[in-house]
Amino acid sequence: MDKARLNALKQTAVACRLNVLRMVRASGHGHVGGALSAMDIVTALYFYQMKLDPRNPEWAGRDRFVLSAGHKCLCQYAALAERGFFPKTVLDSYGSLDSRIPGHPDMHKLPGIEANTGSLGHGLSISLGMALGLRLDGSDRRVYTLLGDGELAEGSNWEAAAAAAQHKADNLVLFIDNNGLQISGRVDEVMSFRPIAAHFAAFGWATKEIDGNSMEQIVAALDELPLCAGKPTAIVCHTIKAKGLPFGENQVAFHFWKANEAQLRQAEEALAAEAAALREEAI
Amino acid sequence: MIGNKEDPRKVFGAAVTECALADERIVLLSADSGKSSGFGDFIRLAPQRYFEFGIMEQAVEGVASGLATTGKIPVFCAIAPFVTARPFEMFRNDIGYMRQNVKIVGRNGGITYSDLGSTHHSLDDFAIIRMIPGVRILCPQDPNEIRGAVKAMLAERGPIYMRIGNEPIENLFEEASFSIGKGRRIREGRDVTLVSTGSLTANAIAAAEQLQAAGITVEHIGLPTVYPLDTDLLLQSVRKTGRVVTVEEHYVYGGIGTQIADLLASSFPAPVRKLGIPHAYASSGSYAEILRKYGLDAEGIAQSIAEFVNEGR
Repeated sequence: MDKARLNALKQTAVACRLNVLRMVRASGHGHVGGALSAMDIVTALYFYQMKLDPRNPEWAGRDRFVLSAGHKCLCQYAALAERGFFPKTVLDSYGSLDSRIPGHPDMHKLPGIEANTGSLGHGLSISLGMALGLRLDGSDRRVYTLLGDGELAEGSNWEAAAAAAQHKADNLVLFIDNNGLQISGRVDEVMSFRPIAAHFAAFGWATKEIDGNSMEQIVAALDELPLCAGKPTAIVCHTIKAKGLPFGENQVAFHFWKANEAQLRQAEEALAAEAAALREEAI
Repeated sequence: MIGNKEDPRKVFGAAVTECALADERIVLLSADSGKSSGFGDFIRLAPQRYFEFGIMEQAVEGVASGLATTGKIPVFCAIAPFVTARPFEMFRNDIGYMRQNVKIVGRNGGITYSDLGSTHHSLDDFAIIRMIPGVRILCPQDPNEIRGAVKAMLAERGPIYMRIGNEPIENLFEEASFSIGKGRRIREGRDVTLVSTGSLTANAIAAAEQLQAAGITVEHIGLPTVYPLDTDLLLQSVRKTGRVVTVEEHYVYGGIGTQIADLLASSFPAPVRKLGIPHAYASSGSYAEILRKYGLDAEGIAQSIAEFVNEGR
């Protein structure tokens, strides 16, 4: 991929992170840790990879994205708003009564949401059903799903993992946001599924490991899809929790952030500086 | 023919197969449960629309939801507790909350898996599935109603749970017409309204006949739809009789008895006697013995109704 396009994608990821902060500013809190670790992957999907029509969100020819880890919804709202699915002013309603962007996504409230997630361990099965339905229709569209690494402890994921391989769903692509942290501490200490890629390989998936905060590596992995004809793909993405929060990166405490004004301003300034550096680089 | 007995699973499987062969949107899902659900012919005739998953009922309900988002009409049938209690959250979130056009069918329902014990009984499915907003619950009473219910649920958009048994059941009604939400007045009477659902309706019919001979006239209403209730039909009857007995293969809490008591409490207060399985882990044995033990055979139902009517006289 040429440098200008990569630079533009990185700038978009920064804009999306600023959208996340806009929602946190509106409500004073949010599940930012996982939203920010997954933000680069989700940006690449919405702005590079997926066929979509923001003016016709239910277009039959679209690719689908299911956020199994529904608490990371700030990253999806941020990307959908940036892509034009709804006005950015909707972001200012986060946390308010009857908001269209509740704390976990609701497909009946917001265009572009494909599934109602929130309880962990549901998204992969739903995605597999979508993939099988698309295949029955002769469509070449794909279903992209994002799981958290802590979420892997839900047994229903492994039911779906077995079924996806058995049904040779090679139009299903799973990203595991492996930021290594969950509410109670390090994932490896709470309930380890390491080595994650080997678990999926044993279930019959094609796998790959990348730096999930490197736009270069994310785009390169997307360009390789499907990794293996006849197999679903699992991409283990090594990420940094709360990526982009200068005071919060890699800290469990920022899984759910109750923000104060000084922190918000510091974070916004850091992202603005990152955006300026990217613009400079682009010239 | 009236009085003939048929295997509900075979009747169900044949009816689904007929509809599915005529409508390419219909897909059948199995958790190692397809052949026992009567899908054998479909597996042979349309294998590309039959999906086997092995014993993983949680994932299957999620997959069903995903398939439905692409316009398919998934039908998932397996043993009743394994499609209701076990994957309850998948039913609630993926099918209910997502408002998907998925049909879940619990077979060997109620206490028909009699001697296999409480893990295989479903005596709470009406109660728990009714708590999922937007899901309708069917429990056909005879083979023709199963045929009608299959057609009706596949033609109707939205999530539906249907319960059938596995013991051969009697043909009670000539016509196969089925309208979701509508009850059926089986017998007119003045002394008490008897409300039944599922294949126990056969025993309730026999009980009403016995009582007629004993001078008690029963107004019998059969409910092939458990939720939502046919409130008009029920209220019209109770306004006339003033008291209700309910009969169901379900705990006496949370089923049609509870729903009717709720309805009457707000619309027309009247005494209700709920017949069903007491709130405990039910015994095991042959189906007929268990029904007798809990007073759900024709004699038991007739005796309970007679006592209830005489209390009011």
